[in-house]
Amino acid sequence: MASFEPILLRNRGVENSTSLEVYASRGGYQAVRKVLQRSPADVIEEVKSANLRGRGGAGFPAGVKWSFLPKDRTRTLLCVNADESEPPTFCNRVLIETDPHQLIEGTIIAAYATQSQVAYVYMRGEFHEQFHILQKAIDEAYAAGYLGKNVFGSEFSVECYVHRGAGAYVCGEETGLIESLEGKRGWPRIKPPFPAVEGLFALPTVVNNVETLSCLPHIIERGADWFTGIGPAHSAGPKLFCVSGPVNKPGCYEGAMDITVRDLIERDDMGGGMMDGKEIRAVFPGGISMGVLTADEINMKLDFDDPRNFGLLGLGTAAAVVVDTDTDLRSVLRNIARFYGTESCGQCTQCREGTSWMNKIATRIAMGAGRVEDLDILLETARNMGMMPGLSICGLPDGATFPIETLVKKFRPELEAAILAQEPGRAEAVLNVLN
Amino acid sequence: MPNVIIDNQEVDCRDGISVLQAALDNGRDVPHYCYHPGLSVVASCRLCLMEMKMPHPKTHEMGWAPKLIPSCQTIVRDGMEVRFNSDPVQANQKACMEFFLLNHPLDCPVCDQAGECHLQDYSYRFGRAESRMVDQKQVNPKKDIGPSTLLYQDRCVMCTRCVRFATEVAGTSELCIVNRGGRAEIDVFPGKPLDNPMQGNVVDICPVGCLLDKDFLFQRRVWELTGSPSICPGCDRGCAVRVDHADEKVYRLKPRYNPGVNDWWMCDEGRFGFKYIHDAKRITSPIVRRGLDVTTPDWRDVPDIIRFRFEQQVLEHGADKVAVVLSPFMACEEAWLLIKFIRGVAPEAALVMGPVPTEGKEQTFPVRSANSGASEADVRFTISAEKCPNRRGIEMLIGGAGGTTLSFDEFNEQSGAWSAVWMVGGYPKPWVDKATTKAVAKVNLLVLQDLLESDLVAAASIVLPACAWVERDGSFVNASGLIQPFERAINPPEGAKRDGQYLFELAGYEGLYSGERVRGLMAAELDSFAKIAEAPTAPAHAH
Ligand SMILES: Cc1cc2nc3c(=O)[nH]c(=O)nc-3n(C[C@H](O)[C@H](O)[C@H](O)COP(=O)(O)O)c2cc1C
Ligand code: SF4
Ligand code: SF4
Ligand code: FES
Repeated sequence: MASFEPILLRNRGVENSTSLEVYASRGGYQAVRKVLQRSPADVIEEVKSANLRGRGGAGFPAGVKWSFLPKDRTRTLLCVNADESEPPTFCNRVLIETDPHQLIEGTIIAAYATQSQVAYVYMRGEFHEQFHILQKAIDEAYAAGYLGKNVFGSEFSVECYVHRGAGAYVCGEETGLIESLEGKRGWPRIKPPFPAVEGLFALPTVVNNVETLSCLPHIIERGADWFTGIGPAHSAGPKLFCVSGPVNKPGCYEGAMDITVRDLIERDDMGGGMMDGKEIRAVFPGGISMGVLTADEINMKLDFDDPRNFGLLGLGTAAAVVVDTDTDLRSVLRNIARFYGTESCGQCTQCREGTSWMNKIATRIAMGAGRVEDLDILLETARNMGMMPGLSICGLPDGATFPIETLVKKFRPELEAAILAQEPGRAEAVLNVLN
Repeated sequence: MPNVIIDNQEVDCRDGISVLQAALDNGRDVPHYCYHPGLSVVASCRLCLMEMKMPHPKTHEMGWAPKLIPSCQTIVRDGMEVRFNSDPVQANQKACMEFFLLNHPLDCPVCDQAGECHLQDYSYRFGRAESRMVDQKQVNPKKDIGPSTLLYQDRCVMCTRCVRFATEVAGTSELCIVNRGGRAEIDVFPGKPLDNPMQGNVVDICPVGCLLDKDFLFQRRVWELTGSPSICPGCDRGCAVRVDHADEKVYRLKPRYNPGVNDWWMCDEGRFGFKYIHDAKRITSPIVRRGLDVTTPDWRDVPDIIRFRFEQQVLEHGADKVAVVLSPFMACEEAWLLIKFIRGVAPEAALVMGPVPTEGKEQTFPVRSANSGASEADVRFTISAEKCPNRRGIEMLIGGAGGTTLSFDEFNEQSGAWSAVWMVGGYPKPWVDKATTKAVAKVNLLVLQDLLESDLVAAASIVLPACAWVERDGSFVNASGLIQPFERAINPPEGAKRDGQYLFELAGYEGLYSGERVRGLMAAELDSFAKIAEAPTAPAHAH
């Protein structure tokens, strides 16, 4: 298969790619200059016709989201979602590390299109180096007059700040992010009102993912038609994919959304196949929150639609983690349950109690003290927590239940066998000690 | 007035309220924890979810939307159709109750809330009999969070009502949430206990036994208590309260919903201020003194003794030498009867407004601070500086009666002018000062009607026990001029008799005194007493 000509990652490997000078010398900051000649409405139309779907997980079209902003607003804020906390996911990290100016250019374009006065980059707390890289690039852009008052000598002004999170997954949820930016607990808000109407500091607000914004300079430079020409109809444009686990070349790769999970794992220009002759048992193809595929299902296409055919929640972050046949699925189950058990923000009953209960059950199963009925309780708890449509304030429980439900359902024979092979009496003994 | 269909039944509801409130107003028991009509909506307990008809995104045909939505967060719209009686809604309620109980210690036998606990009630209705969780419970600590309140975190349902109350109503923001997810806890900031003049309300609005009133802790099982509607006498706001009592003892006061007066709240001063009613220094029987001879008369003889003594003074010294000092702790009905009696024997008797206690300054809530952002306009609760319930009522009656009326200072200045004085106390705190003692030192006949012992007892010719407000019934006129009735909760202590009753007899009426009966008599004479203001009954299932 012909390899993909990198778009978002075109500056990866170029020496000093994070500097403004190198970025500009390779055609950077041309798109934004053109944008400033056009009307904001015109730019929104272009992005709408490119059908740029959000890369943050939900796949909502960016142009449509922007057009929800009230017409009579006087102030608008833009939030750049760089919280990237979904397990096995590091697309945003690579974009920030290799091409921070591409993100800044995309941010200025989005700010102009939405007429935002301020852009806040909400950055995952663990991103230390990445913070310094981006901050340095922002400083350069300010010094060059690309950010701040009258960018590129135009009438348009936009300030840009980086705000560092304190290590909460839920602060990647857009309204959790907004609360956190306001200095409050990162508890997602009830909607309506939606952020486009009343968001950060009660002002109309747009939240977009780093990768979504990084696409914008290219849409402007090469046009919506070019963009929609990449990949399948409803999943247009370049996409970053991550692959990790026991593959030969774990990493972040770019492609159109016409590749399959198998391509991502096996292609030479991507994962390069399983290492040391290991065999695939399961793959979580969209971050862990979307659910799991069996080895037989890896022909699933990594686009916005196909995952649903496999009982998954969606494309998610398109970051695949491969589980080989040597790995105990009980520890996989436990690892997943623990993540959500510690990351639920705790305001909604189903999510707070459901995630912690599933964590307890999964931990006990991983300790070799499971009971077959625990699997049924896990399934029922997942259902009681609400799975598409959810019952809670934000989408975290969807993400918590899909991987657990699909894992238990698709690998029930293996899990049951492991439970039945436990040392006899162990479940009772462990329960006795714990209670 | 929007008309909505709830469970196939058309319901008219007030504008701008939530579907949950409409359902509660309509008598439906929709389970809910986080919603409280006096607090902001957070829709986080997810217990009140309902189904709603919405247009299909493609066909635009109306049908039940697949997603359950919080009824507390949805404002009623005319023509809206919702339901709570469907399987998905009830399955969610049931699942929630299982979730709430997973880590709960199930210590109802030693929990003060038992019997008025919405975790018990809802579990009984929707829960399962046995826990399916075999794993260890999350054990949360019991915390002493302030001088009056304890927090048993292990019983918390994380509804955040308490946190919102402290922030939005008290404005003091002592409470917060710490930790995340299943380990989240309610807490105070280090070194900043929950200690504000309204803090007791957090115990009332906590739907479970997590926040506990130290004063009531382990005092009594709540099902042994009887609640009587009353009005707090602590200041002139006239907050509607419920007096919870058993075996002639008051155990606690709780606010009653009264919109525009106290809404859902009351202050701690009022809440804990009732202790004097069980004070050992209560005057509990009548005393008649003649020279050195002190007797306790039979109550049946008291009206005649008093009437005769006053008539004697009027004959000897004239009707204008008689004064009656009325107390702002009296009910309107009692004051009216007393005036009627006095003016009957001495038409020129002076009517005196007794001392009106004040303390400090008026306090408003939420307290304004740089952080709270509350402005002068958003006052949600006021504690008045005037620490008595009925100055306005007494003034209305004195004004209505006409003739000689005096302030208490004027009365004191005219010491020596009086031959017979009837002086009403009833104050919860010592109130007799030197000027008063001096003013009555030389009177021939001093009738003292008072609650607690004081120097005046020795000076009085006749002492009548006054009863505490929980032992009486009548009405108080509050700061906004509302005439608010209160009911009797307990009986007077052994030996005492209700003020209203002996005044009723003195004023020449027969039979049993009741506030309502006397209000009927008063209304015939005084237009201003024709209209009383009663707190509405709150919907049965709201909390
Ligand atoms: C629990 C949770 C965590 C999320 N974390 C992230 C995140 O780390 N980064 C991100 O871009 N979006 C995250 N999202 C999605 C955001 O809410 C939002 O949809 C997204 O930032 C919108 O940007 P986009 O339209 O450009 O994709 C998360 C959502 C949920 C429910
Ligand atoms: S669903 Fe979970 S993470 Fe989201 S707001 Fe509710 S408790 Fe928090
Ligand atoms: S302490 Fe009571 S009021 Fe506060 S969050 Fe817990 S259950 Fe709710
Ligand atoms: S979610 Fe409606 S009452 Fe809690």
